[in-house]
Parts: sequence; C-alpha cells; structure tokens
Amino acid sequence: MPFAVKNICVRFPAATRFVFNDLSFHLYAPGFHALFGPSGVGKTTLARVITGDLKPLSGSIDAGTLSTFLYSYNLERLPDWSTVGNHLEKVTPPGRETLRKDLIHIFKLKDCAQKRFSLLSLGQQNRVNLLRYLLQDFDILIMDESLGNVDEPTRESILFKIKEMFPDPYFLYISHNVVEVARFCQSIVILRGSDRTPQSRLISGMDARSGVSPDSRKLEQTMLEIVNASS
Amino acid sequence: MLLHRRIYQFFIVYCLAVAGLMGIKYALSLSDYVIPGPLALWETAKETFGLYFKDVANTLMVAVVGQLLSIALALVLGITGRRATWFGSFIKVAAYNIQAYPIVAIAPIIFILLGDGWISRLLIAAMICYFPLLLSVIGIMSEPVTDIEHFYRVTGRMRWQLEVKIRAFENLNKLTTVIAGSATLAMAGTIVAEFIVADAGIGYAIRVALFQSDLSKILVALFLIGLSLSVYQGLLEGAGMIIKKGWAQKS
Repeated sequence: MPFAVKNICVRFPAATRFVFNDLSFHLYAPGFHALFGPSGVGKTTLARVITGDLKPLSGSIDAGTLSTFLYSYNLERLPDWSTVGNHLEKVTPPGRETLRKDLIHIFKLKDCAQKRFSLLSLGQQNRVNLLRYLLQDFDILIMDESLGNVDEPTRESILFKIKEMFPDPYFLYISHNVVEVARFCQSIVILRGSDRTPQSRLISGMDARSGVSPDSRKLEQTMLEIVNASS
Repeated sequence: MLLHRRIYQFFIVYCLAVAGLMGIKYALSLSDYVIPGPLALWETAKETFGLYFKDVANTLMVAVVGQLLSIALALVLGITGRRATWFGSFIKVAAYNIQAYPIVAIAPIIFILLGDGWISRLLIAAMICYFPLLLSVIGIMSEPVTDIEHFYRVTGRMRWQLEVKIRAFENLNKLTTVIAGSATLAMAGTIVAEFIVADAGIGYAIRVALFQSDLSKILVALFLIGLSLSVYQGLLEGAGMIIKKGWAQKS
C-alpha cells in the first residue's frame, strides 16, 4: 500500500512564510524510509501532519488502509514512579511478551530493567522509549532522532533487527546523519524548504541488510546525492 | 532537616525583630508601657506561656482542619477544572475573580449567619487559603507534561487518573511548597477570624492583649504562632518528601 503526501500547505499562525507550500511525495512500499533536511525545515511539522496532530491549511495524506500512525521522539520520558521493566510490562499488549524480551535483548537493555528511567544514560533512555513504541500496533512509525546518543555498533544492530522483524509497517526515520540514512534507508525524502522548487526530493537509499557488506562507492554516491539535494 | 531549618530560621527572624524593637525602645527612650523591656517580656512569657500555648493549639487545630478541607476541595475542583472545557474555564475565571476579593471583608457576614463559634473560624480559614490553593492546583494540573504524556496519548492509554498521577508526580515539589505555603494563609485566616469576633484561640488572646495595650503579651503570642507555624510547615514539607520518596520507591 503506497503512502502519499499530497499538496500539503502549512503556515503557522502569525508566521509570514509557509513551512510547506504544496509539498508532495510518494513512498511506494513499506520499509525503512528517512526524512532528511536541515534543522528547521519542517521534519517534525511534517511528522505531526502525518500523525494528524497538525491540520494542514490544504492538502492531504493518502495512506489508503494504513490507519495507526505513531510518532516517537528522543526527548520522551517514562514516569519515575516505577522501574523501566515495570513500565515496559504495563505497556506490552497481550501476546507480545516474547517480542518484548527479544527487543530488550536486541536493544541491550537487560541491565536497565530494574532502574528508574531518569537514572539511565541518554542513549539507554532513547532505546527504552523506542522499544515501547515497537511493542504497539502501528502501520507507520515516525522515529524522530529516536536513536540519538546510541553508539554506532548498537544503533546498527538495532536498525538491522527492526528491518528484519518489522517488514510490514512504514518507518520514517528522522536523522541528521547522512551516512546512516544513506546506508539503512530504502528511500530518503529530502525536505528543502518552502522557498525552493521542488520542495522535496526522493532519493533511493541502499537499504542495507544484516550480513551484506556495503558497497562503499555506491554509498558515497548516495551520500553525495543527499547532500546535493539538501544544499 | 526541613523542620529543624524552619525552626531556627524562625528563631533568627523573631530574635532580630525583638532586638529591633529593643533598639527603638532604647534609642528613643520609650517607656516599658510602650515597649516592654527584656525582663518584663520574660516575666510575661513565664506567666502566659501555658495559656497561650493552649490558645495557639486551638487556633492551629482550626487552621489544620480548614486547610485540609481546602486541599481536598482544591484537588477535586482543580482536577475537574484542568481541562480546556467550558467548565474548566468557568472554574479558572471564578477562582481568579473570587481570589481577587478580600475574603476577610466578608467575614462579618459569616459571623452574622453562623455565630462566633468554631464553624465560622473554620470557614474563614478554609476560604482564605482555598482560592490561592485552587489556582495553583489548576495551574499544575492543566499544564501537560508532554514528554511523558505523549506516548500514553498516541497509544490510546491515557486515562484521567494517569494524567493526574503524571502531573502530580512531576510537580510534587511545587505542590508541597504550595500546600506548606497555604498553611500560613490558613493560620492567618483563623487568627483574623478570632481577632474579629470569636471567643477562643490566639487571635482572641491578641485582641484582649491589644485592649490592654500589653505588647509583651502580643510578642509572646507572636512567638508561639511563629513557632507552631514553623513546626507545622516543616512537618508538611517533610511529609511531601516522604510521599515523593515512597512513591518513587514503589514499583
């Protein structure tokens, strides 16, 4: 089921310029996609439009039969009145206990289960937060810097596993890391700002999988394309 | 620790105030009739301490019950009125407006309708600390803790009980401070009520001392009021800390 953003216009009250002016793009298949662009270009705003938190002035999101959109971001917190393990247990839908255990193992969070959220490092906090979203029902999960402050090898293994374990939903990965989006994502939506034409460009990523060594020339080429499109 | 700090802070302030009075007395050569000397003050303290202690205990009891009543009411209305509904807006606007009106000014009406007994004192104490408390509770409860609430909201898990729990937990220090602060208001309300009409409590004792122009009795009464209030506020803050600690340890 393709997912399309059609002619979206967004302007905040009292602002003189549009955040998006007739923004459109298509994602043709589920998988791991990226939203890329400089700070302030509207990535989070677009995420809020997609999840329905923000109503655009005009335009629409055509998601067909996709109905459950979740948005996670890296500043989220869990209440400190209970341990991380207890919180995760409470938000696990029935029948997904094994998935929770697997994800805790993959995310290297076993030692954090008995701790309060505020006592974890930023990278651990971000992993815990993303983990609880992955336990929910969703058709589209927007991950806004969700793996920020996580070391590279752990991030790599998490991304590989997510792609392996969740092939059906769409992931929209918001990151400023060119190498990461170029390497792991199926396609990269580059947001360029409302004053530029076209406002967005879609670039094919390498969609790397576990066990397949990356073609460094192709990776470099994709990264160059991304940088050129966004600058 | 908080209790200890509260008490010695009060002692410092009280001693400075008395020292200031003595300074004025000796600088302007005022008679003992206007400002009593340290010896007269000590003698009065020995004479009236027991009696005034009972009066302060009486006043404090009314203030505590009045404050508890206010806290319960403010929590109920604050939680109900936290939402951006017409009812929530109505409660906020009403609380702001009523708070702007001096409750003491309507105390005579309460005394006329209910007499000069315990209930009138309680009502005035409760009313004086209620509205500031309500505004603070509404302020705390209507402020979303987005970083925590987002997940529960988007996954359809948010219930009003959870929302209140999150906001109360995240603002427990603020709530404790507001509640400890409202103890002063409740005490002030009770004393003012006693001062106006009632026939018991430390406010009534101060009124009698005022008619006798006996500053030393007033100073002893103020010492006991300050001391009891410091102990009460210290205990409230301590209770707040214990609740927070207990809440955080429970899993």
